[in-house]
Amino acid sequence: MKDRQSEDYRELAEWLIGFTRSKGADEVEVTILDGTEFSLDVRLGEIENLIEAGSRHLDFKVIKDQKTAYASTSDLDKETLKRLVINGIDRAELSNRDICAGISPHIQSTGKPDGLGIYDPMVREMDSREKIRMATETERIALEDKRITNSHGASMETREVQTTLANSNGFFGQYSETLFSLGVALQAGETDNMVEGSWGSTCRFLKEIEPEAHIARKAVERTVRQLDPRKIQTQNIPIIFEPRMTGWLLGFLFSCLTGTSVYQKTTFLAGKLGEQIADKKITVFDDGRMSGKLGTAPFDSEGVPTSRKTVIESGVLKTYLNNTYSARKLDMESTGNADGSGVGPTNFYLKPGENDQLEIIKTMSKGLILTRTMGHGLNPVNGDISRGAFGLWIEDGEIAYPVSEVTISGNLGRILKEIEIIGNDLEFRSPICGPTILIGEMTVAGQSG
Amino acid sequence: MDNTHTLPFFDFFHISDREMQKVLDLALSRGGDFSEIFCEYRIHSSILMEEDIIKETGESIGMGIGIRVISGDKTGYAYTNDLSPAKINSAAITAASIANGKIRQKAVPLNFKTNTHNLYPIVQSGKEALLEAKIDLAKKAYLTAQRFDAAIQKVRVSFADLTRYITILNSEGLKVSDVQPMIKLVCLAVAERGESREAGFSGGGGRVGLEYFTGTLTPEEIGREAAQEAVQLLDASPSPAGEMPVILSPGHSGVLIHEAVGHLIEADFLRKKTSIFWNKSGQKIARENVTIYDDPTIPYFRGSYNIDDEGTQPEKTLVIENGKLVGFLQDRLSSSLMKMSLTGHGRRQDFSCIPIPRMSNTYIAGGEYDREEIIRSVAKGFYADKFQGGQVEDSGKFTFSVSSGFLIEDGRLTTPVKQATLIGTNIDILNKIEKIGSDLKFGLQTGTCGKGGQGAPVTDGCPTIKISQMTVGGIK
Repeated sequence: MKDRQSEDYRELAEWLIGFTRSKGADEVEVTILDGTEFSLDVRLGEIENLIEAGSRHLDFKVIKDQKTAYASTSDLDKETLKRLVINGIDRAELSNRDICAGISPHIQSTGKPDGLGIYDPMVREMDSREKIRMATETERIALEDKRITNSHGASMETREVQTTLANSNGFFGQYSETLFSLGVALQAGETDNMVEGSWGSTCRFLKEIEPEAHIARKAVERTVRQLDPRKIQTQNIPIIFEPRMTGWLLGFLFSCLTGTSVYQKTTFLAGKLGEQIADKKITVFDDGRMSGKLGTAPFDSEGVPTSRKTVIESGVLKTYLNNTYSARKLDMESTGNADGSGVGPTNFYLKPGENDQLEIIKTMSKGLILTRTMGHGLNPVNGDISRGAFGLWIEDGEIAYPVSEVTISGNLGRILKEIEIIGNDLEFRSPICGPTILIGEMTVAGQSG
Repeated sequence: MDNTHTLPFFDFFHISDREMQKVLDLALSRGGDFSEIFCEYRIHSSILMEEDIIKETGESIGMGIGIRVISGDKTGYAYTNDLSPAKINSAAITAASIANGKIRQKAVPLNFKTNTHNLYPIVQSGKEALLEAKIDLAKKAYLTAQRFDAAIQKVRVSFADLTRYITILNSEGLKVSDVQPMIKLVCLAVAERGESREAGFSGGGGRVGLEYFTGTLTPEEIGREAAQEAVQLLDASPSPAGEMPVILSPGHSGVLIHEAVGHLIEADFLRKKTSIFWNKSGQKIARENVTIYDDPTIPYFRGSYNIDDEGTQPEKTLVIENGKLVGFLQDRLSSSLMKMSLTGHGRRQDFSCIPIPRMSNTYIAGGEYDREEIIRSVAKGFYADKFQGGQVEDSGKFTFSVSSGFLIEDGRLTTPVKQATLIGTNIDILNKIEKIGSDLKFGLQTGTCGKGGQGAPVTDGCPTIKISQMTVGGIK
């Protein structure tokens, strides 16, 4: 750990709190982020881009007479900070009084993130030649497959971020975390019939990165399986979501469960606490304390300790996800999900079931495996979903051919009640994730007829 | 604002030309072909109004230096916002290491180039304006939306202004600066009736001053438009599903041109042969009625700039002329590797990013048809009115998401519909553009395009367009 730097940031945060209080603010919260980034793109065997950098950033929030102002700067000069503080207090005067405004009352820091497993010292020890080798090797193996006609390149990234957080209630916390990621993106087919696919692995620890050959093979398989797609006719059919797609659906679910969207009335799940909103098979957790996972952290962006929450239990909505502000608006407790000025997930996931993916496919006499979506088309206000889609057509329990240029439409509220099977293939590849699922019916639009 | 004489970096950064020259040389010390220093200082302020109160305001300062070295087709890049000489030199050495030989050339002495034009001569800049004046704009939009209809349950208005000071210095002796203003006022309105709940959105801005809101577009109009869309959607039916003729509304539908054509004529995708268009230069890729431009020189537009993020003065670029592919959007690296001239489309989100070819203001030129005449020509079809956005991949497959539209029955717009996705492949759709209206309009001055993790402000424009057949994704 950079002990000297940690101490410097601690002093800076404490100085800023003191200065802000001396200028008349009632409450203040300071965040300092210090990051180091290395990123490398290799394409067709040659290095294309190599980026190495360090950056730091300070954000603070001041509250005076229950009026709030924010400021942020990458210029950490004390004169700049003083000016921003004075501006901030002046600006706060022009806001309106908001009885819910304020910083978190939590003052108990969980201290060092020991046991959470989010820092790998290899981030500093790793040789850049090794990073170049990993990216080059991944792309080389992928390009050995003759069906691959072009490459978007392979990338290797490492990142280290130190977070310092302090507030005028006496909270102080500091932790460092690391990320390693390796991936490759490919094209197959000829100019007028091109398909694209990719695979990657992102982890807290270098040793957890999937082997180059595995990433390459997955990327190849995901690319070539889309070759020679057909359009299908417009119809209502059952749909299997691959784990990545379940993650996408859960991301939409998360955005509909934030306390912010509830008090703003921008979610169809407002007012549904304690109700059966999903099939009994559905249990969803948000857990910020799972060792080594991508959404793990000792405390949230307001210093509230993270925890394990059951968000949906056997289909019943148990809690919204809140930061301090949305919790006060809803007369609830913060769930430790503050993320900047909004609400974010820790490890938000759907509890896996018992069936493996092949068994699920076998149950389907006719339907679509959804492999990728494109576009926007998510409306949290009513739960409507409408996206461009790519997939694999299933007939009699087997993959028949790839499908492209169709759209899928449905409604999240109905989908939650129509999840028929949940797979056992949950992997924590991103902060929001889930296993394969089968949904009873959605509309797929393609050709008329 | 005086754009021609300001050299803000040397106020903010306290770095002299001589020192910069040394850094450019240091960056070439391993044998690179080209070195560049990008300096950026940005001041951003924001206001949020919801639940009838000014809830919060913010001020943000970002600054940093990005050093780039090009060696053949390789790029080394390093950035820092710690501006101590030691850190800057270390960034130069890091970027230099993309080449691994001996020094081959020194940087040409810097020669300050003044901009001969200013695309954004504004009266009252967002940076200079009083916070009270900006709060007043937010309130006007808010109250208009709220009072529009009893069904409006929730309004959220945000105002933001950004002033971006950039200076680019490179080993070819270029030194050029720009001060780029940006304002954005957006309104979200939510309407509720019974179990039905819908949202509407509108906004405006660009590289303008506050005077824009008394002349070009008032905050009241922004509030009204957001509320109107939300209320209209309460009565909207689910979209139909299947293939049918589609008419695109003028203005908002420009996103189709952005997705279906724009990204695939960005030179990096052509150079790497990943774009479906890579071998189609000079060929007919659309019907003859289709002419498309990308123009970074439209005054006050969100996608415009006096210089791009590599210091190149941009040009209005003809991309498709009467159906033929004739132009690409170039940055330095791609233009030199492709041996084509620069067009001034090298843009970056900020100092932490490598510049890449990007769109600016992309539009399809107006045609000969009257809008009503186009609508009358469809017996049964779909009218796409407003959009949430779109996406394309290099293979040419694209989607765009319609937030509101209408059914067309017997040549008239009838039932309002909501939430549909249009999907297609670009060459196919470009050859199905059957009629183009004479009513070219630009969409909202609020759009940001994402590519390779970098956001860039853009606009797009389009007249009324009829596509003979397209897949509309809705509910069956």
